[in-house]
Amino acid sequence: MKPGVWHRLDVIARGLLPAFSVFVLLLINLLPVSLPLLSTASPSLALMAVFYWSVNRPDLLTALTAFFLGLLQDLLMGLPLGVSSLVLLLVQTGSASQGRFFHNKSFIVMWWGFALVAIPALLVQWLLSSALIGALLPIKATLISYVLTALLFPLVAWVLARTQNSLLRYM
Amino acid sequence: MGYSITFLEMRGILLAQHGGPQQRIFSPLRTALHRFAFILLIFSAFGLMLLGKADTVLIERIRAASADLVSPVMNIVSRPASSINELTEKAYNLAHLYEENERLRRENQQLLAWQQAARNLSHENTRLRDLAHYTTPPSLHLVTSRVIADMGGAYAHSLMISAGSRDGVIKGQAVIADEGLVGRIAEAGYQASRVLLITDINSRVPVIVENSRDRAFVSGDNTTRPLLTFLTADATVAPGDRILTSGHGGAFPPGIPVGVVSSVSENAVRIAPLFRRHQLEYLRVANYGLHGILSEQRIRQSQAPSNTDATNLAPDIPAGVGVVPKESEIDAHKPMFKPPAPEGDRP
Repeated sequence: MKPGVWHRLDVIARGLLPAFSVFVLLLINLLPVSLPLLSTASPSLALMAVFYWSVNRPDLLTALTAFFLGLLQDLLMGLPLGVSSLVLLLVQTGSASQGRFFHNKSFIVMWWGFALVAIPALLVQWLLSSALIGALLPIKATLISYVLTALLFPLVAWVLARTQNSLLRYM
Repeated sequence: MGYSITFLEMRGILLAQHGGPQQRIFSPLRTALHRFAFILLIFSAFGLMLLGKADTVLIERIRAASADLVSPVMNIVSRPASSINELTEKAYNLAHLYEENERLRRENQQLLAWQQAARNLSHENTRLRDLAHYTTPPSLHLVTSRVIADMGGAYAHSLMISAGSRDGVIKGQAVIADEGLVGRIAEAGYQASRVLLITDINSRVPVIVENSRDRAFVSGDNTTRPLLTFLTADATVAPGDRILTSGHGGAFPPGIPVGVVSSVSENAVRIAPLFRRHQLEYLRVANYGLHGILSEQRIRQSQAPSNTDATNLAPDIPAGVGVVPKESEIDAHKPMFKPPAPEGDRP
């Protein structure tokens, strides 16, 4: 049976879903929130989503996609260009290769895994940003950002898991 | 059962171990390709870093375009967020109605006294200006716009506002809130622009101390308390002193409040900005007709002048500002080292 045009479009749309979800999380990250804490250090939502998809569906969020999502993050947030691209690329490659380790394990294991992966990811981001700006950025904000990122991961992962179950189950 | 493995099962095991005949050829090729792509992407990330350092004009255009790209979405999505903020604020206000009323009553009394003083001064000022044939500063054109995104984060302190070149916003213009200076336009897109806050590590604002008229720079360092740098050794600064823009360099108009000195120690003077970042909602972009020393055109035009008296900078920058005097000149005219009277002191 030859698949129709609509069927193929549907498959393409579903295939783009992981990348689109990261984009949406990037925009959520940009929302002005009236909490004093969040205006100095915000959780890195894109990092969580890239980790989640590379562990669960590395076929749908490739290294190239991670690279371009990082580029978009740098452009939108006014960060030194290329830093987020590198960080997300490394996270994607690293997590995708270790993805099998997390399969059929409880969510707590994945949470721990993410908390471990986020440390070098944010450290590299901090170091490279400092080097490119030419001054040591305050590490305190990065630490707060790390704590927020690690604590909020279950929430984001739950939303992404719901999305995956409802839209990507048969792909 | 033991050793009775059928031919099909045997083939299955073999395939699982070594892959099919096609896979045996293509799978190493695919891994090699993947590895090559990965290395290529790593190199392009570093290439981007170099490009971002070197070619700022191109990157700026791309950044402005990306701001334009997401601004329609952010413009809509940020509305519910701000209405939730309004709701929490209303609840807070209701709870503190009585104290707030008392405070405002007291403040009103003080302000009425100030109003009288201001009226007297304003009359005196106009009379003195008439006497001195004072030329009025360029008229002020304000563009009000909403904050549609906050790039909150550990690495950059900037906001996105819903006004761009369409509304007359140009790179380098001052951005002010009700309380005082917030930052400047870093990139202006067509319908959205990025505002670099004064707390960002890339921000430098020429300022004066209100009472002592000492000149300095407010330099952000990505904390909520930017530093007061380039103060002279004999400058007198105490906590509580107000800091205003000086207008030097032609980037910002003089007299916009920037902050209050919050701490003075041996090696650092820090100021507290007057705005609260998480409560910024509407900002005004001030167009004073000054294009600032930041405009690309100006940078391209300005070649190092051969003699410092005939600068080819635009007339709105006073001669001598931003031009380093030669060693011999400093020795010849010692008084030249003394800073010229700041704008605020003029009659």
